[in-house]
Amino acid sequence: MELDLILNTIARALAFSTPLLWAALGEIYAERSGVVNLGVEGMMVMGAVVGFMVGQATGIPYLALLVAALVGALMGLAHAFFSITLNANQFVSGLALTIFGLGLSGLLGRSYVGQPLQVPMKSVTVPFLSDIPLLGQALFTDQKLLTYAGLIVALLLYFVLNYTRWGMTLRSVGESPRAADTAGIPVNRVRYIAVAFGGLLAGVAGAYLSLAYRPSWGEGMTNGMGWIALALTIFALWDPLRAIGASFLFGAFFYLSFTKLQTVIAPELLTMMPYIMTIVALTVIALGQGKRAFGAPEALGLPYHRGER
Amino acid sequence: MSFLGYRLEPRAKPPGYVVFLYSFAAVLIALIITGFIFIAFGLNPFSAYATVIQKTLLSWRGFSQVLLKTVPLLLTGVGLVLAFRAQFWNIGAEGQILAGAAAAAGVALFMPLPPFLGIPAMFLAGFIAGGIWGFLPALLKVRLGVNEIITTLMMNYIMLYIVRWLINGPWKGKNVRGFSESDKFDASFVLPLFKGTRLNWPTLLIALLFVLFIFFLLARMKLGFEIRMMGESPEAAHYAGVNFLTTTILLVLLSAGAAGLAGVGEVAGIHKKLLEPTSISQGFGYTAIIVALLARGNPLATLATALLLGWVFASGDVMKVSLRLPDQMSGVINGLLLLCIIGIEPLLRYRIVRVNGAKLGEREASSGT
Amino acid sequence: MKKLIALMVLVLALAWAQDKPKVGFIYVGPVGDAGWTYAHDLGRQKLEQELGVETLYIESVPEADVESFIDQLVDEGASIIFTTSFGYGDGTIAAAERYPDVLFGHATGYMRAPNVMTYIAEMYQSYYINGLIAGALSESNKLGYIAAFPIPEVKRHIDAFAIGAKEVNPDAIVEVRWLFNWFDPAGAKEATEALIAEGADAFIFTEDTPTVIQTAAEKGYPSFSHYASMYDFSPDTVASGQLTDWGTIYIDFVKGVMDGTYTNENLEDLDYIWRYTEGASIAGAKPGMPINPVYEDALKAKMVNDPVLGEISVYDLVMKRIEQMTAGEFEPFTGPIVDRKGNVVYAEGEVATLGELMGLEWAADNVVGDWDNEP
Repeated sequence: MELDLILNTIARALAFSTPLLWAALGEIYAERSGVVNLGVEGMMVMGAVVGFMVGQATGIPYLALLVAALVGALMGLAHAFFSITLNANQFVSGLALTIFGLGLSGLLGRSYVGQPLQVPMKSVTVPFLSDIPLLGQALFTDQKLLTYAGLIVALLLYFVLNYTRWGMTLRSVGESPRAADTAGIPVNRVRYIAVAFGGLLAGVAGAYLSLAYRPSWGEGMTNGMGWIALALTIFALWDPLRAIGASFLFGAFFYLSFTKLQTVIAPELLTMMPYIMTIVALTVIALGQGKRAFGAPEALGLPYHRGER
Repeated sequence: MSFLGYRLEPRAKPPGYVVFLYSFAAVLIALIITGFIFIAFGLNPFSAYATVIQKTLLSWRGFSQVLLKTVPLLLTGVGLVLAFRAQFWNIGAEGQILAGAAAAAGVALFMPLPPFLGIPAMFLAGFIAGGIWGFLPALLKVRLGVNEIITTLMMNYIMLYIVRWLINGPWKGKNVRGFSESDKFDASFVLPLFKGTRLNWPTLLIALLFVLFIFFLLARMKLGFEIRMMGESPEAAHYAGVNFLTTTILLVLLSAGAAGLAGVGEVAGIHKKLLEPTSISQGFGYTAIIVALLARGNPLATLATALLLGWVFASGDVMKVSLRLPDQMSGVINGLLLLCIIGIEPLLRYRIVRVNGAKLGEREASSGT
Repeated sequence: MKKLIALMVLVLALAWAQDKPKVGFIYVGPVGDAGWTYAHDLGRQKLEQELGVETLYIESVPEADVESFIDQLVDEGASIIFTTSFGYGDGTIAAAERYPDVLFGHATGYMRAPNVMTYIAEMYQSYYINGLIAGALSESNKLGYIAAFPIPEVKRHIDAFAIGAKEVNPDAIVEVRWLFNWFDPAGAKEATEALIAEGADAFIFTEDTPTVIQTAAEKGYPSFSHYASMYDFSPDTVASGQLTDWGTIYIDFVKGVMDGTYTNENLEDLDYIWRYTEGASIAGAKPGMPINPVYEDALKAKMVNDPVLGEISVYDLVMKRIEQMTAGEFEPFTGPIVDRKGNVVYAEGEVATLGELMGLEWAADNVVGDWDNEP
């Protein structure tokens, strides 16, 4: 029975953390290029509503996913335009995106509230692998494709970031834009691409909610997940692989608060755990290694202007 | 790089009146765009605005509703101005508001105090509780370099769940029919209202005094000078012997304490009980970030920016009823407003000048890479 | 003379128009929520159609702001105002004091004033019916209940459901999971998943979205509509449900106001608790479908022995109980009832009073899970 609880927790944590992982991966890439985007929540919620609208109109969930991703990317571009080209405060621009996205999605989705999605994304049980004792139940039974895709994308992004030329370009722009510029890297163009890519993944994250996780549209259905994704970005120390573990942890505690454990621990205290652990983890890392341990991109949040300083 | 004989020329710091004029223009542009949204909903934009203005600004009851939303935004916003001046990115005002609210409720529910002490004790407790909630992130930032954006954001969620736990558990009321809220506060713990409104004057007064205090602090006092120096040039601050730890902790205590005071105002002035945290603060802690950023580091400017956002809040309510517009309009308008205001940023950083041969050459020589 | 007649007609017409009150509604969620607010809005539309009164509504009003919205409704000319959430209680009472000429109805509340009545479309009888159905359909004998808050209203519904389940299946237990929220789709989803993992195979809930229905449907498990029809979300698995028809109450009250029965001075003791008999709350996957045909055969095949009705199929039992409750001849909370701590709550033949049910705190003996404030 306890083993069952563990296995189910793993399975549900994976499912619940899927949107967190996608959004966090996107934000990691944006921040690695040096741009903070507090608009994750807004990009996600727009992805959710547009995904639902297209899905309902066409009956093709993966087309809906694509459009949602593009809308996310478009919002990412808007953030890039405001924060890079117009040189606006990144925090305000991101917040504006979140506020605007929450409002606009509510407006767009008004007539879709309370409708079931006609063709939701199906759950898949991986043949053969799901027969593996224990692991099969925990990892390969009744998950959505996007859950597996998220894990694969995380691996890919990790690889790209650390072992390819592109990754090096991205990191150099985030660490030392001046040096990158001198080396002939178009700093702002790289940042534009990274921020738009972040929006793309946030759009996917939102669409997962409305097309797969809970195939319907409800106002503000992201319910703060974008903010959690932002937290995960830092919790994962801007590392795509660590993002898997970090988002998994959030999912596990959330699920546990609705299991039998309810009778033992107040659910609020369980749900609170990941937040406390984030702070504790950051503190422990800092205590162990000192200030430079975080791996935060050096130029994070700083606009880059040629010819200043 | 010239266009039709004009070019952009960077400038270091735009004068105050320019910032004000441009910001005003940005607000106007946002309102004009909103006017088109009115048209899309089949409304006459002029009569729509007339209705909104009439019901929010021209009637005392309507205006009191604007102030009702303005007060928490003002208190929290001016606190954030202080934090942002020191480059302390406090995203945790929402949690600090809730901490203040919870502390006030604790005093009201469990402290047998003589009536005249009830209200001051609540404000004191709320200020301290808000401050404590900001203390840990401040300490972690200065001592260990832990990013305060993340810790303050986390602290929001932690406080949200603490309040939920309180109202479902130990503080759950005896006379609430099992609902998740505390018992009602006794009358001596309820703030007095302006007659005929739901607006309480003590929090309004405290907010105004706090704005003045922060203004003087930043402009005249040593602590304010150190805070500014820390934010503007940390290295110089080091050389000048500024103690980063004490300064940061002091400024965060003030900043977070202000949010705590706002929380006291909400529970003791409006709800009269501790209840579901998302009902206590309707996202004031996040909206206050906008208030502070729009004020561009000027505490007195929060008077205008908080009022503006309070007005948008209240206008959204009026639009819902009188114009039958959907609930989501105020979010859209808020977002538009913000985007327009940050959209004018380049105009503040550059000025448009007529191309003048000699000058042009000079400029290009000096700004070459 | 002609002029005089014309004038009289005009005066009469005006008086008649005056007689038709403008009715305002304050909703806690969006009208399209497919749940609580949607059900109230259906009631509002019915009121408009049947009595031809003009109505106004405001959606998604935060509890703390109810007073200022009441101000605005009064400004717009509303003379009857319904506030449709428990949390509006304080604000409604305060506003009622300021507008003594306006009549108020506060849903699910208990605080009253001379111009404030309370009302509820009470669903426990439907939950009992759903318990009969779920108890019969379950193979694991484990029923899942995803519940909002441990308040008397929800506890009463859990108990009614558990009593129904036990009546047809003595081994059936009801596993309760609390969300501590009226609106928490993600929580409802994971709570359902957790219950599925623990072996539950029929699901009922108190939450404002159809999430539980969608989640249970993925596994093909039966579930139940809540407040309004959620049949469309899974036509093959929504077995029945508890449907409210708030229109019955709205029409009755507004009629009473128009004919002078109810005034701004006599509402202090008016508390609508309307159930099956009044048609305010009925069981069904959607209106007109008390049992989803998909499950008809299974329920007809399951036979139980009733002390009064003898050998009877669950299908027939459900229909019989609906008939009896509509006629006011049967009460689910009839003794002997023992709570899960072993206390005798009602002795043989004893029937619970409405007042007792409104303040219910005990847990039925086949309920499993955390239970706040258990006597």
